[in-house]
Order: sequence, then C-alpha cells, then structure tokens
Amino acid sequence: MLQYVTINMDGALLRVAKGTSVLDAALEYGVCIPHLCHVPNLSDMGACRLCIVEHVVNGKAKVTTSCTLRVQEGMVIKSNTDKIQRLRRNIAELLVAEAPNSRAIQDIAARCGVKTVRYPFRNEKCVLCGRCVRVCKEMFAANAIGFVGRGKERRVASPFGKLSEFCKRCNTCLEVCPMTITPCAGPMKPGEEYLCNKCESQLMEIASAPDQCFFCDLGEGFQCSRH
Amino acid sequence: MPPRAIKAILEGRRSQPQQLIEVLQDVQADYGYISEEAMRAVAEGLGVQPLEVYRVASFYKAFSLKPQGKHVITMCTGTACHVRGAKLLLDQAQGQLGVKPGDMTDDGLFTIAHVNCLGACALGPVVTENGASHHHMNPGRLRKLIDNLRKEEKAEVSHD
Ligand code: SF4
Ligand code: FES
Ligand code: FES
Repeated sequence: MLQYVTINMDGALLRVAKGTSVLDAALEYGVCIPHLCHVPNLSDMGACRLCIVEHVVNGKAKVTTSCTLRVQEGMVIKSNTDKIQRLRRNIAELLVAEAPNSRAIQDIAARCGVKTVRYPFRNEKCVLCGRCVRVCKEMFAANAIGFVGRGKERRVASPFGKLSEFCKRCNTCLEVCPMTITPCAGPMKPGEEYLCNKCESQLMEIASAPDQCFFCDLGEGFQCSRH
Repeated sequence: MPPRAIKAILEGRRSQPQQLIEVLQDVQADYGYISEEAMRAVAEGLGVQPLEVYRVASFYKAFSLKPQGKHVITMCTGTACHVRGAKLLLDQAQGQLGVKPGDMTDDGLFTIAHVNCLGACALGPVVTENGASHHHMNPGRLRKLIDNLRKEEKAEVSHD
C-alpha cells in the first residue's frame, strides 16, 4: 500500500506518496520549480542545479536540489524565496553563457527571469545534464553512452569513441537532449546578450506568477516534465 | 619483466567487477598504458560493460590511455611553480620535443605531462623525470636535461 507523508511547501500542506522527490511533489501540486536535468521516471543526478529550494531544518534553511531530495514527514520547503530566485537566476545565466544556442536554455532563462547575461559566452554544445546518459541506461538498458573523463574533460561519449554494440539506434538520447532544440532567432547572440522581450505576454505572466504553474509555453520549450 | 598477457592478469579475478581498478592498475603497470583491446578484454573478463571500463580508465590520472614514452617528463604547473615560470618550462619542452602535453614523441622516448603541485613548492619550479625530481628548473636546465637523456639513449643504442 502506498504510504503518504505530509510536507509543508511554501506554507501549504501537501500529502504526497512516500519516496517521491520534492520536485515531483511540487510539480504534481502545480508549484513551478524550473528544472532541466530531471526527466520523469528516471533517476535524478542533480546536474543542472536549477531546481534548488530551501529546506528548513531546525529553523535553518539549507539550499538543496529538490530533485534529489526525498519527501519526509513534516519537512518544510520554501520553493520561491528571494534568495532562491536570485540563485536560480544566476544558475540560469550561467547555463545561457555556457550554451546559448538552444531554445530550451533560452526558455529556462526566461522562466527564471534572466534579462541580461553577465558572463562571457562559451557556446558549448553540451551542458552535461546527463539526460541522454540516464535515458540510455535506465529506459533502454543499453548503456551505450556515458560520462567520460573528469573535471574540464568530462564529456558524454560512447566507449572508445566508437558506436557501442549495445546501441539500439533508438535516438532517444537526441530526443531528450536540450541542445537539439533549435534556438530562438532573436536574442542571446554573442555580443547581444539580452532577452529581446518580444514574447511580452509570456514575460508578464511569468512576472505575475513566478511560483505557480500555468503550463507556460516556455516549459514546453525546455521539456518541463509537466508537459 | 616482459608484460604479462591480459589473460594472466585476469587470472583468478574473472567475473568479479569489483576488481576493475586493481586489474586496470596491473595492466597499467605492465604495459605502461591501457589500450582499447586491453580494456575490451578486461570488460569481457570481469563481466562489465566496455563503457564502464572506459569511464573508470578515463577518470583516474593514474591510468593513461595513450602509450607513454620511456621518459615521462612532468612539469609542475601548480601555483608556486606557475609564478616562477612553469609556463616557460612547458613551452621549452613542447618546443624541443614537438609534442603536446600528454603525447609521446614519435621515437617513443619522451612524454610530456603536467601536474598541479608536487608538494615541493619551495623548490619550484619542479620538474620530474620518471619520478626523479629536479628543482629550481629553468628552460636552459630543462633543455640540457632532455639533451642528456637523448645522448644516453643514443649511447645505449650504439652499445647493443
Ligand atoms: S509548465 Fe512552466 S509554469 Fe508549469 S512547472 Fe513547467 S516551467 Fe513551471
Ligand atoms: S532538475 Fe534537479 S538538478 Fe537538474
Ligand atoms: S606548485 Fe609546484 S610543487 Fe607545489
């Protein structure tokens, strides 16, 4: 039988099944926590750090990623304090600077309220979110790609740089990759690091409801798991 | 000691995935590097996926995936050595040997590497050659070191 626990999320009491993550619980109840590396039904590795929340223990708030945090009876979570918003915006900014050429990243940045990017652009092709790696390993049991190397050299690769014999050529890795989503033609070019604000309606909605889910179009862009 | 065959290294450890690192260490010690064939053989012997072996081997600095030269010249590029001109040493070695850090010269004699602090900062810039440390190096002394090693090699070749 499913056991339930009660958690306090931004003052509201939520009843959620034991064993779910705080992120899943929040999304289930319509609390918006932007996230990138989380894919429903896969394990979480906390790579993108976007889903941070404040976890209050004994009156002290600890910032942790909600996708790797399991619900516990009576836990207190704050998902949208000023501090969290500031940190999240900064993380989104760094993501944009790392890999601006993806609609997914641009939309996440917009959802997190990024207006300008203060960091130099690196134009990387991979943000090491690990979505492809986990989908390959857990959903298709192929383990044909994985993280290789360490530190700056860390990258996703197939064994010895050759196509693995276990690869089923299902292309799911490409489907879940945020970098395969064609970037918006407008903003976020090197040299003009700003949001063009053409999606005015979106941005207004975002500003008016930073913490609630209204099934934003942006979420669709970055494969938010509510869609 | 001639390198043992991969089979001999795997002896008694087959189908024990937890032995992966030990086996790789032995391969590294015997061959000086870990080749793709070795990794595939290890994967098959231990019953782990090739990807897993590749990930582990590429993660640790102790494993090298490329053949290593007879003399591994390691430049310290840690903070203390850096401010005393480790960059010049690296440039000198690269220029003299014509290879990038991590690569081997065509004659198989030298490999250049760099590390981030050897723990002897007061003696910097430090260069090690197959584990033997040379302190207070400068480009000139490094050039001589490499020249001497070359000469010794030539002498050895003409002896046999
Ligand atoms: S659809 Fe948009 S508003 Fe809803 S949870 Fe996803 S990102 Fe947040
Ligand atoms: S979704 Fe939690 S760290 Fe990426
Ligand atoms: S920085 Fe070179 S030995 Fe410490």
